[in-house]
Amino acid sequence: MQALGATVIRAGRRFLSSLPALFGVLVFTFLLMRVLPGDPAVFFASGPNAGKEEIEVIRKQMGLNKPVPEQLMLYLYDVGSGNLGRSMMTGQLVTKDLRERLPASLELTVTALLIALLSAVPLGVLAALRPGSVIDHGVRFFCALGVCVPTFVSGLLLIYVFYYLLGLAPDPTGRVDIFASLPPRQTGFLLIDFLLAGDFDGWWAAFRQLILPALSMALFVVAPLARITRASMLVSLGSDFVRTARSVGLPWWRVVVTYALRNAILPVITIAGIVFSTMLGANVLVEKVFSWPGVASYALDALLSSDYAPVQGFVLLMATVFVIVNLLVDILYGIADPRVTIG
Amino acid sequence: MSVSGSMRLLPVAAFIAFSLAAGSVQAQTRAETLRYVTGASVNTLDPNIPGSTREAFAVSLSTYDRLVSFGRKQLNGKWVFDLGTITGELAESYEVSPDGLKMTFRLRKDAKFQDGTPVTAEDVKWSLDRVVTAPILGKAQLLTGSLTSADQFKVIDPLTIEVTLPKPDKLALPNLATVYPIIFNSKVAKAHATADDPWAMAWLKENTAGSGAYKIESFKPGEQVIMTRNADWNRGTTDKSAFFKRVIVQSVPEPATRANLVERGDADIVVDLQASDVQSLEAKGKLKVISTPQYNAVTFVSMNNQIPPFDNVNVRRAVAFALPYDDMFKAALFGRGSPLFGATWADGKPTSGAYPIAQPVKLDLDKAKEYLKAAGMPDGFSTTFSFNVGQASTAEPMAALVKESLAKIGIKVDIQKLPDAQMSTQINEKKLPFFTEGIVAWLPSTDYFYRNFYTGNQRWNYSSINNPELAEIAQKARFEPDAAKYEEDGIKLNAIHFSEMPQIPLWQPSQDAVMATSVEGYTYQFHRQVDYRDLNRK
Repeated sequence: MQALGATVIRAGRRFLSSLPALFGVLVFTFLLMRVLPGDPAVFFASGPNAGKEEIEVIRKQMGLNKPVPEQLMLYLYDVGSGNLGRSMMTGQLVTKDLRERLPASLELTVTALLIALLSAVPLGVLAALRPGSVIDHGVRFFCALGVCVPTFVSGLLLIYVFYYLLGLAPDPTGRVDIFASLPPRQTGFLLIDFLLAGDFDGWWAAFRQLILPALSMALFVVAPLARITRASMLVSLGSDFVRTARSVGLPWWRVVVTYALRNAILPVITIAGIVFSTMLGANVLVEKVFSWPGVASYALDALLSSDYAPVQGFVLLMATVFVIVNLLVDILYGIADPRVTIG
Repeated sequence: MSVSGSMRLLPVAAFIAFSLAAGSVQAQTRAETLRYVTGASVNTLDPNIPGSTREAFAVSLSTYDRLVSFGRKQLNGKWVFDLGTITGELAESYEVSPDGLKMTFRLRKDAKFQDGTPVTAEDVKWSLDRVVTAPILGKAQLLTGSLTSADQFKVIDPLTIEVTLPKPDKLALPNLATVYPIIFNSKVAKAHATADDPWAMAWLKENTAGSGAYKIESFKPGEQVIMTRNADWNRGTTDKSAFFKRVIVQSVPEPATRANLVERGDADIVVDLQASDVQSLEAKGKLKVISTPQYNAVTFVSMNNQIPPFDNVNVRRAVAFALPYDDMFKAALFGRGSPLFGATWADGKPTSGAYPIAQPVKLDLDKAKEYLKAAGMPDGFSTTFSFNVGQASTAEPMAALVKESLAKIGIKVDIQKLPDAQMSTQINEKKLPFFTEGIVAWLPSTDYFYRNFYTGNQRWNYSSINNPELAEIAQKARFEPDAAKYEEDGIKLNAIHFSEMPQIPLWQPSQDAVMATSVEGYTYQFHRQVDYRDLNRK
């Protein structure tokens, strides 16, 4: 109990110490957006008759008529009071957009990561148990394939086979069948919300929508996870304690799972953390192909149209997620290996 | 293992059976639902908000009424909007005074807003005042029809409103049929106005207060809009409510997915597929494909007439004769559109005063070389050719062909692909020497095109041409009441265009509407979107 309290305090301290980094990200993105060529006011004033006057109206509306340092101060003040500005693209507050869309991205990424971990760790372990065998080469081949095929290609292929040809999957348009009704929003995670509402048909429908995009994302990240599992398992299988465990006649699964894998899992957790953060921001192609209403495709659209507020909000969000994931990884370290403490 | 395996499969099988059963129940209402998928998205419920998308226009056409709307006509066997016929929507009838300075609209007695209150002349006055006074998109549009001030709109009695004009302007009435002058329920709108926002712009962006054919059921900006039918609406051409009980407008960014959806029958209609997908869907013959050349739109290769070397007319002519038109047309559009090149003009005179007309240009490298020599640049020069990312699917193959062909006369071209916002900024600042862009006019008349796209130091004058004669004729033609003289002015303008060659019209791309065979009534509209009220299912 005391150890847990200490962990929480340390975690809190770690989080506080990352605040300056977040502030830096905030200011840097703000300035970067303004340095990039492309004037959002001109872009959004693109009605058939929009002239100078319309451009000025939009510029004023976006606060771009003020000098940059003043804009920055105003923006910092707004962020401090929890307002990330308004998106021109969707016409909504950025905080509202992100709150709507982040659960969609998280749900997809977590599912994809789960699928990836559940397949990559056993594959890596199998490959490490029989290095150089057919299994090892098979796993290597599978990983190479997964990395080579870009996610949008595997996504389009999956759609073509499971939706277009076989008709097994539902139409790849978003998180839930367009004709179905949504559960009352509680967490924003549809799988959880449907369960809370006790609507199992809805849950099944949402799950069916989720499975193809999650698979195409998982395929891409199986490789790094499986490779790192294999490498670190090889080291740990060759170590003295495993030899000892074997020599005292422990059952093989106990040797592999309890002794070898537990010691080999640290690097896998690290990579999984990095993979998760990258996936969350970089799954834009999957989101586009499956019309998934996530944060990454939102940020890309905003970037193309130089819509400042959403891009800044997105980068801040990603930085925050990164900090939290790193923290989580550190805590998991402690669980996997009690000798490690976070400080 | 096998036993427990099949036991585990049981609930899955039950689920599948159940969802299949649920599917057949849904199918009955499915026929009365229209599902429209698009690559763009709806970002506001009021089309007047700066930054609103074309999809937002289409939604507002269904949720609001205007005083008048365009009729439709057949063009080569396809229904298109007809600028020449203007019929009443909220107006039961209208009359224009003989001197053209006064328009009187009589409202329908049975017209009601969606909250049940009657539509009055006061509501019309408030809505028209808003569109010409508030800092919104409609202001610039209505300016083109001499509608500029709230003083021009007068309530005569609760069902009659009078619009006065400073000059007889033939675009005044058509302007009232465009997407901006929608009629709001002024009582509701005023209740949501604030001191900072007297025209309730913030509220109307996310809510509707209209009398239109559809009510908003749910609105998720950037994702989807679901509308349900307003059963009391009777302003359709056949005096009936709209056919579909429910309309779903859904954003599906990936064009290949949109093609799959409509082919599998999960979506009913889509208008923004890639030309290659349309081609293959048409070949399969399972769906109805209606291709209408967008006769109010033009795609150009533009040159900045103020930047050397394009300030030299002979350079512009050289480029005009060095473009591989046929190859570009095939590579970019798969031939889906109407070409604006390869015409023959007898004795070098334009064949009509309409805009745009096909130009007497074709690929002729010898002629191009002569023009370059005449420009004093026999060895050519280097330049950049720009296009925006949003148009990449058509512009990219085109740019490659332009580069290849111009190299043959010594012009070295660097291809520049710009993000959309960057492209529009550079065009606005007149910094691009050589690029491709497109234009659209809602009210396509010759003088309108020339006034908006060939005069003034403004963004839409892509070529930055500054020709006093052209500007003068175009201004004069605007108020020309005599059709024969108007035609003459048009011919003069087209002749100047050809001799100056400020930019090179390429083609009018087709709008390819791909729909289920059961969907009928599709009409090509001036806003290049689907008017959901037109459609029905047989």
